[in-house]
Amino acid sequence: MSLLEVDDVKITYRMPGDDVHAVNNVSFSIDEGDNYGLVGESGCGKSTIAKSVLGLLDDNGDVRSGSIRFDGRELRDLSERDWMSVRWEDIAYIPQSAMDSLDPVMSVGAQIRQAIRKHRDVSKAKADERVAEVFEMVGLDPTRTGDYPHQFSGGMRQRVTIAMALALDPDLIIADEPTTGLDVIVQDKILNKLMELQEELGSSLLLITHDVGVVAETCDEVSVLYGGKVMEQGDTDRVFRNPTNPYTMGLKNAFPEVDEFDEQAISIPGSLPDLTEEPTSCVFENRCPFATEECGASHPDLVAANEQLSACHHVDEADEMRDQAKDPETWGIDVRNEVERTGGVGDVILETDGLEKWFKQPQGILDDFRGKEPDYVKAVNSVDLTVHEGEIVGVAGESGCGKSTLAEVIAALQDRTGGEITIDATPIDDLLAENTKEFRSQVQFIFQDPFDSLNPRQRVRAAVSEPLKIQGHDPETIDRRVRQTVEDVGLKPADKYLDQLPAQLSGGERQRVAIAQALVLEPTLLICDEPASMLDVSLKANILNILREMADDRDIGIVYISHDLASLTQIADRLAVMYLGRIAEMGATEDVVRTPKHPYTASLLAASPRTDPDADRKRVLLPGEPPNPVNLPTGCNFAPRCPKAGEQCYRGDPERSECTEGDHEAACYFPVEDVETELLERYIEAREDDVEEVLEGGMTP
Amino acid sequence: MSFRRFLLKRTLIAALLTLIAVSVIFATLRMLPADPFSGLVASGSLTPDEVDQIRAMYGLDEPIYVQYVKYIQNLFTFQFGISLTQQRPVGEIIIPALVNTMVLLLPALVATAIVSSLAGMYAGWNRGSWFEQSSIVVTTVFRATPIFVTGILFLIIFSYGLGWLPAFGMRSPLANPDGYLETYLSVDFLKHYLLPFAATVLFYSGDFLMLARNSVVERMGSEFLMLHRAKGLSEMEQLGRAGRNSLLPLVTYFALRTGMLFQGVITLEVVFAWPGIGRALVQAILNQDYPTVQAAVFIMALAVIIMNLTADVAYAKLDPTVEAGDV
Repeated sequence: MSLLEVDDVKITYRMPGDDVHAVNNVSFSIDEGDNYGLVGESGCGKSTIAKSVLGLLDDNGDVRSGSIRFDGRELRDLSERDWMSVRWEDIAYIPQSAMDSLDPVMSVGAQIRQAIRKHRDVSKAKADERVAEVFEMVGLDPTRTGDYPHQFSGGMRQRVTIAMALALDPDLIIADEPTTGLDVIVQDKILNKLMELQEELGSSLLLITHDVGVVAETCDEVSVLYGGKVMEQGDTDRVFRNPTNPYTMGLKNAFPEVDEFDEQAISIPGSLPDLTEEPTSCVFENRCPFATEECGASHPDLVAANEQLSACHHVDEADEMRDQAKDPETWGIDVRNEVERTGGVGDVILETDGLEKWFKQPQGILDDFRGKEPDYVKAVNSVDLTVHEGEIVGVAGESGCGKSTLAEVIAALQDRTGGEITIDATPIDDLLAENTKEFRSQVQFIFQDPFDSLNPRQRVRAAVSEPLKIQGHDPETIDRRVRQTVEDVGLKPADKYLDQLPAQLSGGERQRVAIAQALVLEPTLLICDEPASMLDVSLKANILNILREMADDRDIGIVYISHDLASLTQIADRLAVMYLGRIAEMGATEDVVRTPKHPYTASLLAASPRTDPDADRKRVLLPGEPPNPVNLPTGCNFAPRCPKAGEQCYRGDPERSECTEGDHEAACYFPVEDVETELLERYIEAREDDVEEVLEGGMTP
Repeated sequence: MSFRRFLLKRTLIAALLTLIAVSVIFATLRMLPADPFSGLVASGSLTPDEVDQIRAMYGLDEPIYVQYVKYIQNLFTFQFGISLTQQRPVGEIIIPALVNTMVLLLPALVATAIVSSLAGMYAGWNRGSWFEQSSIVVTTVFRATPIFVTGILFLIIFSYGLGWLPAFGMRSPLANPDGYLETYLSVDFLKHYLLPFAATVLFYSGDFLMLARNSVVERMGSEFLMLHRAKGLSEMEQLGRAGRNSLLPLVTYFALRTGMLFQGVITLEVVFAWPGIGRALVQAILNQDYPTVQAAVFIMALAVIIMNLTADVAYAKLDPTVEAGDV
């Protein structure tokens, strides 16, 4: 008997007007000690299933039919009182966003203790012992149990939630996107810890994620969900090696890999099906390139295909479909001539020289009075960057490395503290002094969040034409250029979209409107701050393709800022890797990715999960956290965490010219030659040697 | 910054604020076009020589900076001088009135803060329930109605109509208690106490109820409550956590309200003829009794400043994310 059996479950949300059928006839089962993955894009029902297993559905959500059995016991019939004893004791939960999921006014230790004492009749001291124990298990300093959540970094908070989940040795742990929102290196460490502990304790894991790479690396079995239906189910290796369902193929191919260069990204056209009625056709029919009449008639049952189950009317043609699915043209994407792309680099459009942005730390009036020099956070510290026309320069780095500040300083949205910015060979100060409007039309910015960056009460036409109005164009020109731009970013035909409000558009469409807004002025420089990070994989690729096209066709220089290395390698011609306000490494994307010189770059690259289940990747267990950016020690910023650091690294700060190979530059005295032996293995050794030192946060060498 | 340093800094700032406040009072009163005795000259009751004598007696003939220094010295040693109209120390007039006000308003405010906040949290948790809807309507009505109207309504119903409770003052005319204990611990006092107490409680209930409800509604659906629920906490325990996370605005508001409390609810004291500080102030202003006015205003300013300080400290203590240095 399986530990958890979800059988033919239907879940609906009552909405004013219509019910939303979020989950439709989903079945799967998890055996003891197994890792099970539910993977799919937003709106596929994966979180809804997780919540139903814990009885945590929102008040308007109902399990309409089917059964959820845990250890042979039907969970659907439980009263709230019975639920209280099942929760945490039998099934624990690792929530999605560790940043918000801890009670801010309760010390982390008390929160874990509360979970223990709720279920076990133990003394406070006894419970505290257990808290210290689980803290140690997840690699946190047990003396810090009295600290409050805000005193921990994102990765450490996620460890706290894992510790909490382990506190009662539950049989099943449900992890809902446990690493989404964390940087790759932190993600790698957390996943490693989770797998290690689960191995040790023998509990089962239900992992919910949108990240194909994470599932491929961690789960034994997987269900691919789409539109509330299981599209494909089976052994993870088999499902991702030989997908038999067009959706799985699309999802896998859309998911970018770090070492795939210049490949045209695949995106799945169209948007999610309307779930206000139970699906009568295949839920993927409207986006599937292989759909036939049969697909419109009914949703296919899960049938055996190869050694997995697949819900497709055409499973017998899976092999042909798989071949075709690799070709972007199958998904309705125009393949561009690659030669055109590399040849299109023109004059220098942006150049920064020793650019600095320091934030003054607040200090007391008395200290000011005494003339004490305040502390600075050096968010951007002597950054040299050049961007040519028609070129996309990627800036990669973990959160807090200063990449967003860099973007804002270049766009003159923030003042710089020092250094020079020249745009089209003119210093930025002259441009601003001469004509701010002109400057603003030349340099455009695309923000991260398409949900917040559009005015909800402005129709597409008004939103896109606004910049032109500000620049004072006549109505005819405005109308012509708005239409042209809206179609250029793939919202075709323009008439269909011009009179819509942002609320009527999908996330991908909104971001395209935001891009149109930026492009309508025909800028020469476009700065994109994580433009695709809020979007699902299948839509992300689409945004990347549009930007690539714009760079090629309009000769725009683009600075593309992201923490997502895989999409950067797909789109960027040159790549800059930032660490704590400095560019650690810079060069042609392919050079940087294939032969990283800086140990940090190498670690970052090695930490990206792979969708290919056959890829055997060593986890990156980079010790510690980035140091406090206030008052950084002298020497290389990365030295305290670097296994290759020598004495020289603590004394002098290496310049980017320290290690050069053509255009490829790295600020490192001892560049990496072999990632595996020089870094990854030594991280693991360092960890085994002295776990305690890791706990200290690696702040001291 | 350590908590002690923070406290020291805030206290210094509070002291400075008090100094500024009393200086403003001093300056304002000195800038008034007439002084308390000019009226007496005009009416012919005193000759200018006699006025000069009296002025000398009160030290009003000294240079303004000497007066100011003396004034500050006296205030901070709580010597408020002699009332001009009643010929007895201001302290004797002010302190009992102040105590009367506190006895009425402090328990009322504490009661309403606790009861209404709890009710508000419950209402927020059960959003859309009849309890939420009706509690908001009822408390809003009491909040919107001026307190003297509610007071008069109560008097009409309970005193004149039903005759259950006395309408006037703090004790019956026949009672002649001695000392605070005897004054406040008697059935007679309680009877006089109930109506103004109830009016105050109801008047302030709306603020606390809405504040508590809104902050709980804000917390609802937050990730950490979901995690608490997943841990197996009962509904009430979850509400407790939501409530704990909603305390900040409530405590702040309570502290600020308490600071203003020493001004009394003047109209309430007038309606119920409660011998509180609000009423004392109105009388003193009408009589141009400047030492009394100065003393009363000083006490009120002090109370506001002290309670603001308390709010700051409470903030730092209640919310661990507020670094002592941020406040």
